[in-house]
Amino acid sequence: MARRAESLLCRWDLDKTYLRSEFETLRQLLRTAWERGEDKIEVPGVPEVLKALKASSERTGRPLAIHFISASPPQIGKAIRDKLALDGVPYDGIVFKDQLRHIRRGKFRNLREHVGFKLRELMRGRLAIDSSPDELLFGDDWESDPLTYSAYADVVAGQMRGRALETLLVRIGVDRSAVPELLALAERIPPAPQAVRRIFINLARRTPPAHLQAFGPRLVPTFNYFQTAVVLAADGVLDRTGVRDVARALADRATYTPTQLDNSLADLIRRGCVSEWTAQSLVRPLRREGLLPARSRRPRWRRRLQRWIRRRRVDATAERRTLDYEAILARLPHLTRTGAERVDVEEVPAT
Amino acid sequence: MGGERAPDEIVKGAAQISLTTDIDCLLVGDEDRVQAVLEQQEYNPERISLVDCRNAVGMDEDPAAAAGRRDTSLTVALQAVKAGGADALVSAGNTAACVLASTRVWRLVPGVRRAALAAVYPRHREYPEQDPLALVLDVGASLRCDALDLVEFAVMGSAYARRISKVESPRVGLLNVDRDPRAGDDMLIEAHRLLAAEPGLNFVGNVEGHDLVRGGADVIVCEGLVGNVARKLFEGVSGVMLDVARAAGEHRLMWRLGLRLLSEGIERLQALTDYSNYGGAPILGFDRVFIKCHGRSNAHAVANAIKVAAKAVRDDVTGEITAVMAKRRR
Repeated sequence: MARRAESLLCRWDLDKTYLRSEFETLRQLLRTAWERGEDKIEVPGVPEVLKALKASSERTGRPLAIHFISASPPQIGKAIRDKLALDGVPYDGIVFKDQLRHIRRGKFRNLREHVGFKLRELMRGRLAIDSSPDELLFGDDWESDPLTYSAYADVVAGQMRGRALETLLVRIGVDRSAVPELLALAERIPPAPQAVRRIFINLARRTPPAHLQAFGPRLVPTFNYFQTAVVLAADGVLDRTGVRDVARALADRATYTPTQLDNSLADLIRRGCVSEWTAQSLVRPLRREGLLPARSRRPRWRRRLQRWIRRRRVDATAERRTLDYEAILARLPHLTRTGAERVDVEEVPAT
Repeated sequence: MGGERAPDEIVKGAAQISLTTDIDCLLVGDEDRVQAVLEQQEYNPERISLVDCRNAVGMDEDPAAAAGRRDTSLTVALQAVKAGGADALVSAGNTAACVLASTRVWRLVPGVRRAALAAVYPRHREYPEQDPLALVLDVGASLRCDALDLVEFAVMGSAYARRISKVESPRVGLLNVDRDPRAGDDMLIEAHRLLAAEPGLNFVGNVEGHDLVRGGADVIVCEGLVGNVARKLFEGVSGVMLDVARAAGEHRLMWRLGLRLLSEGIERLQALTDYSNYGGAPILGFDRVFIKCHGRSNAHAVANAIKVAAKAVRDDVTGEITAVMAKRRR
């Protein structure tokens, strides 16, 4: 099937990605369940990213759909929808995990197993669309989003099918009864190399970015949504207005200072997620408006040399390799169900 | 980005601070090396900025020559503070080079002839609210000094203790071989006379070596040579005590059991005498805040030094020293 590159599908996780959900204790979990829409708090800047994505697509005429996939039960769906409405966030679909079904079947282990659920919904969602859109995936570092999204991206790319997918699913502890369905869904997806253009991981638990390097340059860990907006703009998905709106939201509603935004930008450049040249040209209006500090006066030759070095670094990371899931799981054992019981992410040794 | 364990421990310390406080850190060092370490840590990028500087002063480098180099991370950091890019400087690098380079780039507070390196150490508490730490200076900014320098050290140390330890009138002692005002050489006798005559100073007279930890004074002044030896002796003794206790435990089962019972107390003692818990030592006398960490500082020590620097800025230690020195000149 020929790919229609002009359409774009954005898939968002909810908890810790859109919402600042706190459910580390049973009390917090129960409170989350009883919260109303107006009680829920979003991660700063995220509604502006979503609005900017829509606005940008309208300006460019590129069709864009936004879907949420949440592992929360559908019983809290009303509060979530109310919250999205309050934030004025446009979206085209939302899926919840039917936790009651697992309880009824006595499959309590599945309550915390989200990889199988998310993979199934991601694949179903793609199959439900006639065209073969490009995709952007947004998750967080709280559970298994880097692994789930990367596996899905490789399924869509046609690199992860049959035996390889089955081995991975079993290895990470997906319910065995769900494996055949996932394999069948994967087979139905027409291969579209690089259709998943980016995976954004919100570092809600401050996972060191180097720990996620094994997922390759397709996956971009970001500390805040200003960083996400800059990478989206560098990829041509968002325009400068969108970046400005996100920066303004962070400054106005989350008390970000110009220096903090500038530091975030510099961090992104140092990590090689965007070239300095691109990043600085994107934020030039923000400097004029005072959202970012005026540029420091470094010698021109030094700036040029540093830009050149960084551009080389970005180009080098743009090469896409096949992911070695065995190596990833060996390095990040908390992503497997059995590993999760033994190893916490903080205990993962540095490379 | 100097020090025996740089850049790793320095970067780790800054990363810790970025997550737990509202302090902004400006790291000056080799960007590639700093970034490589940073990405392995949990950190908050919003509170960390970086100035690329490939050269650092070596721990064994000639201080005078190193202080004259304009391309070192030390000089770049000093310039950054001078230009207002940061409020204080923290370094674990070559101490003598730090002092000399500061003299070249920064200015001494009017009225101060010589900077002093101060160190905090635990001492006996005489009442519950008393700060468990006392200040001794100079511990190595220079080796020798004269009586007038010691008076200036006392005034600066007193101002520091007033702001940091919140002691209204810190007791100042002169480290000597005896409590008798006539003890010591001519310089110490003269210093005693000048300190006793200094208005606004709560001078309690000579203090002996054992008084350092007994708590008879909040600020103790001495020459850099003596202060440095005393400070390192203290660090060494605390380490040896723990070794002795450990070795004793290997000889007899009963002693080992006894040590087990005392383990919590020993850990407390270890924490009390561990230099990394106190961060760094302020270099007093400049118009900016400089906190000098131990050359072997680990991330914990660096993080504490950054906190000390932030506290010195917030409590305006430099302003207090400037005000006191201006009053003296009048």
